Amino acid sequence: MLALSGIRKTFHPGTVNEVRALRGVDLSIEPGSFVIVLGMNGSGKSTLLNAVAGSFFVDEGRIELAGHDVTKWPEHKRARLIGRVFQNPFSGTAPTMSIAENFALASRRGQSRGLGWALSPNLMQPLRERIAALKMGLEDRLDNAIGSLSGGQRQALTLLMATWLKPELLLLDEHTAALDPKSADQVIQLSDEVIQRDMLTTLMVTHSMQQAVSLGDRIIMMHRGQVLHDIRGAEKKRLRPEDLLDRFDEVRRRELLDESAAAMLNELYI
Amino acid sequence: MTLLIGALIIGLILALLALGVLVSFRIFSMPDITTDGSITLGAAIAAVLLVKGVNPLLATMAGALGGAMAGAVTGVLHTKFKINSLLSGILVMTALYSVNLHIMGRSNVPLMQATTLASFGESLGEWLAGGKTIHILGWPVAAADAAVLFLALIFTATAGAAMFAFFRTQIGTAMRATGDNAQMIRALGANVEGNIILGLALSNGFVALAGALLAQYQGFADAQMGIGMVVWGLASVIIGEALTGTRSLGMNIVGAIMGSVLFRLLVAIALRWGLNPNDLKLITALFVFAALVLPGFIERCKRRTTPAT
Ligand SMILES: Nc1ncnc2c1ncn2[C@@H]1O[C@H](COP(=O)(O)OP(=O)(O)OP(=O)(O)O)[C@@H](O)[C@H]1O
Ligand SMILES: [Mg+2]
Repeated sequence: MLALSGIRKTFHPGTVNEVRALRGVDLSIEPGSFVIVLGMNGSGKSTLLNAVAGSFFVDEGRIELAGHDVTKWPEHKRARLIGRVFQNPFSGTAPTMSIAENFALASRRGQSRGLGWALSPNLMQPLRERIAALKMGLEDRLDNAIGSLSGGQRQALTLLMATWLKPELLLLDEHTAALDPKSADQVIQLSDEVIQRDMLTTLMVTHSMQQAVSLGDRIIMMHRGQVLHDIRGAEKKRLRPEDLLDRFDEVRRRELLDESAAAMLNELYI
Repeated sequence: MTLLIGALIIGLILALLALGVLVSFRIFSMPDITTDGSITLGAAIAAVLLVKGVNPLLATMAGALGGAMAGAVTGVLHTKFKINSLLSGILVMTALYSVNLHIMGRSNVPLMQATTLASFGESLGEWLAGGKTIHILGWPVAAADAAVLFLALIFTATAGAAMFAFFRTQIGTAMRATGDNAQMIRALGANVEGNIILGLALSNGFVALAGALLAQYQGFADAQMGIGMVVWGLASVIIGEALTGTRSLGMNIVGAIMGSVLFRLLVAIALRWGLNPNDLKLITALFVFAALVLPGFIERCKRRTTPAT
């Protein structure tokens, strides 16, 4: 479904701000797989998702998605294959436009847009039903500006928008991190439902060990722009939060070791 | 009375300018100074074609098309060459000054003998009324003026309705979303750069349409006529928002039209009372300044006067 090979991305190359955010990522994801992406701050999780979505072009490597080589496709063209929910609830919706209009836009994700009316009757009927199923009382407020809703409501709607047309790949980047615990739980549950129901191939970034062990069928742990651990199958099922914390500790120790080694080399040779 | 009708007609024509500015300023949050050049461009193209004897409707549409192309150039400079939006507009506006002079061949093209939409309206009015004057609510009015006013009203109302309809289509909603949240609409597969180019073309098409009509009404096109026009359009949009009190698209469009007419009436009255025409642009600029700053200022004063809880 998704195949990454040798992905490299350096921001601001050749300057003092140079960041080697992705340093050779190889990853292959089967159709219908729900992959949790873990890693410390700055390990390259968001950069990985952005690279797949096409927010920028990668420096090296090849990205294949649903049988297409999308490495050189611009972001709006890849949108045909990809549904996305961002960390910031403000990012996924057009605030001054109504709920219905936002869904009208989502209902043509990746398709041509012409001079037909945006709000067609064949959209409104299923829209009302699916929004009623959220049990947030939003089905009577379809004409309200979406910017007037709470972060949790917006994030739930964004998820529904991203999956309105079944995407080949769903990208979730800490999409509950900005929410209060109760809304976060709601949105996580909704995500799991939608992903199971439509058997969506999914990449989900999170910092929650709890989510990591209870959701998905595979975990990849990023470290310094590479995939450090890849846990799947029976091992993933057995995994407890403590096991993950151990792996994080190991990463942290290695980091310290790297730093002290660098300091020693500095002292010795400079 | 003639003065009033004249102000109403110009207000309605410049409402098209206000609609254009509404698109760039409110939908794309981009004060687009291309406006100053494209209104003159519309006037210049229409005037030159009219003098050649081209059908007035065709000449008017050609003017609007010219404006749309100028807007598209601004859009390309901004999106493809990553030039700041304000600077892109300034570059095109400056270039248009020369372009307009080339099109006109001199700095002023009079339309005295040519058949224009205005002269067509005037003769239509006199033919329908069967005389030079008619009575509206007991007032004697030149039939020619009444007919032109009526035509202007229909023209502007149609344009406003067309714009409203357009922004409710699939492509129109995508364009509104582009101004509202570019990241979101890109993730939904719309070409943000293309939408901005198209939006600025649409905006300047409306502006140039206003220019083409204005030239026909006042009977000449002039190289200087665009100066300060974007500020004029902003003033109309802002007055419209104050009048309708909302930010919904339909009311914004109605508001911009009403704002333009009201602003023109106020100016006509002020000029009648002895305002120096040279001060007009200064006062328009001060007005827009006040309208931009006052709401925030009042908000701060309110907060200061309400005791902290
Ligand atoms: N657009 C960008 N320009 C410059 N540097 C960037 C950009 N995006 C990411 N980086 C840098 O790349 C590195 C990886 O960032 P990334 O956002 O992928 O981390 P992350 O794993 O998502 O971290 P977090 O858990 O904090 O979200 C960081 O050092 C970051 O500063
Ligand atoms: Mg991140």
